[in-house]
Parts: sequence; structure tokens; C-alpha cells
Amino acid sequence: MKTQMTATERMSRLLAVVPWVVERQGAPLDDITTRFDYPREQLIKDLTEVLFFVGVHPFTPDALIEVDISDDIAQISYAEWFSRPLRLTPSEATRLLTAGRSLLMHPFATTDERSEAASPLLRALTKLEMALGTAADQAVEVQLGSAPLDTLETLRTAINQQLKTEIEYYTFSRNELTKRTVEPFRLFSDKGEWYLQAWCHLANDERIFRVDRTITAQLSNEPAREPTSTRNRTLEPQKDNPRVLLRLHPSCAWVTENYPTVSSQTDTDGNLEVEMLVWSQDWLERLMLRLGDQAEIINIDAPYSASLVSTAAQKVLERYRELR
Amino acid sequence: MDKLERLLNLTAALLHTSRPLTAQELRKRVGGYPEAKVAFRRTFERDKDDLRSMGIPLRVEPISGTDPPIDGYRILRSEYTGHNLQFEPDELTALNMATNAVRLDGGATGLLKLGGSTTQLEAAEIGRVPFNEKLALLITAAAEGRAVGFTYADLDRLVEPWRLSFVKGHWYLAGWDCVRHDQRLYRVDRIASQVDLRQHATQPRATPTDPANLRMWELGDEEPQRVRVMVDADHVAYFCYLMGEDPNHYDPATGITFEVRNVAAFRSLILNFAEHVEVIEPAAVRADMVRWLEALT
Repeated sequence: MKTQMTATERMSRLLAVVPWVVERQGAPLDDITTRFDYPREQLIKDLTEVLFFVGVHPFTPDALIEVDISDDIAQISYAEWFSRPLRLTPSEATRLLTAGRSLLMHPFATTDERSEAASPLLRALTKLEMALGTAADQAVEVQLGSAPLDTLETLRTAINQQLKTEIEYYTFSRNELTKRTVEPFRLFSDKGEWYLQAWCHLANDERIFRVDRTITAQLSNEPAREPTSTRNRTLEPQKDNPRVLLRLHPSCAWVTENYPTVSSQTDTDGNLEVEMLVWSQDWLERLMLRLGDQAEIINIDAPYSASLVSTAAQKVLERYRELR
Repeated sequence: MDKLERLLNLTAALLHTSRPLTAQELRKRVGGYPEAKVAFRRTFERDKDDLRSMGIPLRVEPISGTDPPIDGYRILRSEYTGHNLQFEPDELTALNMATNAVRLDGGATGLLKLGGSTTQLEAAEIGRVPFNEKLALLITAAAEGRAVGFTYADLDRLVEPWRLSFVKGHWYLAGWDCVRHDQRLYRVDRIASQVDLRQHATQPRATPTDPANLRMWELGDEEPQRVRVMVDADHVAYFCYLMGEDPNHYDPATGITFEVRNVAAFRSLILNFAEHVEVIEPAAVRADMVRWLEALT
């Protein structure tokens, strides 16, 4: 709960609390506190020392809101200006709609959640859509990830039943396929991809795997140990990874949209100078192969060297020069 | 006077009045403002911003009969309450769960206005989705059937939005481009300008292209070419997945063929696999790849 609330945070809450209390002709303070995330002390103070003095000119008793707290029940009357809830802004309404739609399209949404009669979420979204406009039911679509459904399903079963699982995993940053035994304990979506957090026997450590790069997943009947940690591991390269400074042609701006950057600026010719953390040598090699002569390494930390680009290009070229 | 008290009094005064009130009238009616003229102005401006930040629809209207015109302010009750959305308790709980499970970047969800929710859920977060005000405006336009104007790829666009889709980490806008008279797909993060709401949409809606099925190498103006590639055995599964192909269509003897209208996009995709994927034919595309790589050595 908030410790120090700003005037607007308190006001937003009060504008929601007043109509709610008025409609019920009084409500217990504890209910208001939990429902509106309003610390009890602050709530009492705001009701008795602020709202009690609110009204319109000339602020005679008949032009003021009346607040009464007795037996921990708050009563509010003569508050007709605030007796109806404030509208949802378009931003708030579209946020609710987007979150709700995301959950409905979630691959593990139950049929109950998707069928109108049974689903409070669907009923709520329908009301929101009616308020937003005639085409609102078509307006938003969210895919939390693009992994194959059967793989997701297997991994979810592994988590629910705590089973060790054999996976074939494609390590993109090293461009290699490995077989591993993992003990899955969390599936989550980030930036439009599904990830699996698991204990990995090959690494003998906790690892995060992209589900779409999990080529096969096979449940074993061996029980997994209790989850070792529930901390949310970061997906980004570690801050102490070596760094690379690149000069990119403006057409390569997608690089900064797809990978985290340390800094990015535009020089006088419109080129971008971008500093990034290096995930791995293979990752950087392939990025540079893709960018071709539209990108250049200006500076790179040891142990890497700018010559890695030509070495990588040479390696691919060898394949093209082999006699077939 | 507590700032909260002044803001509440200001809102009450603006809702109470039947005609727009000037800043000076509000100063007298609300109270709690500084004496000095400049300090009053500054505080009043800040108060207006605060009301707007809470989503209160503050109207600014010229006061009739003033010359030079003076701004008047009021809040219309109908605009203040908007749609009177009434949600059942289980619906609020469901919305609360959805906003806990799927975190949208920045901004409030407005659940409090709807009556909050008593169920304190320990719902696991299953995902994060980027979100911002530009997106909110585009979704609103799609929902209301309004056209929008913005700049994209250095061109001014007039678009009737149909659908906003979050796919593979990016938001896409599908809609009708009123200038080019065609269906178009835009990356929302590449909309370079503000988005402004324009007139009502006129074009009948079609089924928008699903960005999930976008094959970047097919989006181009080049003559289509059939490009055959060979993939190392270890990499076939992920390569096929990434290219949206069934791995069973891959023949270990001859590889797999794609219809390519954008060689640059195709090259970029297959270079993700470095030496594990090789272009076999046509000769021109193979030679293009060799030239591209030689420029790097």
C-alpha cells in the first residue's frame, strides 16, 4: 500500500469512493480501505478533515458535503456533484480491454473463460466494448507468444505435475541444438514470446528458455525437485558483459528496437551510433552479417575484436566455395 | 487550505455551474488560491493540468460578449460520468485478474473508478505487453470507426484503423489507407508523429491481414523468384518454425524452396543461421549472397 500519496492520487480515490459509499448509503471503513487501496489513516483524515469542508460557494452548511463516521461506518451525503463515478478515460478503457483480450487469447484460457455465459471476463469486456464503440470487439488482438501449442501444453503439465522434462533446445546465440533435462517451474511471456524458467541439468543452474526454440519436449515420469527460486530472472544480457559501439545506417534503426541498447545517438550524417551489450560472439557475428556494409564496429571490448565480422563472413563464404 | 480540498472545491464549482466561469470567478468561488496575480495564475494552471491528468473532462469555452475573448471553464456532468458502466462484482474481479496477469506498460487501468475490487489476488503475472497513449488513441479510433492522421515512413497518412495487433513483440495497425486506396499494415512504434483523430470512417471493413502470417520476404515489389536453400540437419526444425513452414516439407536431399519478392529481407533472415543455411539457386541470388559476404571480408 502507498505510504505517501499525492493530492491527485488521493483525489482519484475519493472521486471513486464517494459514489460507491453514496450508492450503498454507507460503508465500513475497512471495506473502502481494501477496495480502493486507501490507507485507513489517510482515508479517515481525508474524509473528516478535507471532504467534510468541500462544497460550493458560499460554503454555508447547506452547500457542503456531509461526512459522518460512526462505528467504523462512513456515511456521505449532499455530495451530488460527485455522486456518480468519473468516466473511464479512453486510455484506461483501452488498457482494460487490452489486458482482458490478452487473457482471453491466452492459450491456457479455459473454455469457461471463453464462453460468454460462464465468463465474467467476457461479460465485462462486452460492456467495455459497448462503451468504447461499435467496432470495439474487433479493435484489439494480443498474442502473448508464438510457440507451438503442444510444446506449451507439455511444459505446463510439467510445471503442474512437477515432472522432469527432456527438451531439445536450439541455442540461438550459439547456433546449436542441445538435449537437456530440465525441471520447469514457470512459464511467462515477455515482448511477445513465451519463456520457460527451469532448472537445467546440463548447465547445473537455473536457466530461461524460449519456448519457440524448444524443438521437442518430452515429459518423464521422474519427479522434479521443489522450485529452487521464484525470482524473475532477467532476459537481458548482464550489465558487465563486453560492449560494442556500432555505427548504423539509418535503415538499420530496427536494431535499436529489437535489442536493448546502452546509448544511442544520431550523428550529423543521420547515422546512428549505438552502444550495446554483447550477448555472445555468435549473436554479434550474425547481427553483423545481416547488417552487411550498412554497419560498422567503431569500438568493441576485449575479448572480442572487430575482425570477428570478416572471420564470420569468411566462414559462411567457405560453404559457398565448396564444390557441390 | 490542503491542495486536495482546493482541487475538490474547484471540481465541485465547475460541475455546479450552468455557464462557463472565468479564472477570476473561480478564484473567488473556490478559495485557497494565492493572493498575488502571477502566483494565482501558476497555481490555477497546475490545477487544470491535475484535473486533466485524472481524466476529468475540463471544458474551455469563450465567455460570450467579452472582447478580447476571455476563456471560461466548466465540466459537463454528462461528460464527467460518460457511460455509466455498471459491473457485477465477479466482472470486476475478472478485470482485476486480467490486469494483474497481463501487465501493460505505464498508466492506470481505471479499475478504482469502477468500484475497485475486494479480491486481493496473488495471480501470477503471465506476461508483459508494451502500451502507450498513442496506442490507446489508435484503439479508440478503431473502436469508434474514426480516421486518424499520422506520419509514417516520411509520408503523411490518412488511415481508417481496423485492428491493433500485438504479435511477436510489436504492435501493428491494420487499416485502410485513404490516400493510397488500399489495405495497409503499419508498425505502431514506427509512427513518427502524433496521431490525431479525424472524420468518421467511410470504407467498409475487410478482414485485416494477420501480422502473425507476415512473410517479410514476400513483401516487396520485385519479380517473384523461387529460391531454394539447404539447411544443416540440426537447424531444420527451428529454421522451418521461424519461416512458418512445416518441417516435413523439408527434403534432406533437395532442401526447401521459397517464393521471394524481397531478396534483402530473405537474406537477412537466413543469415541468422550463419553457415548453417545455404542458398542453392537461382544463381543470381546465390551470387548476391556471395557479394554481400565478400564486402565484409
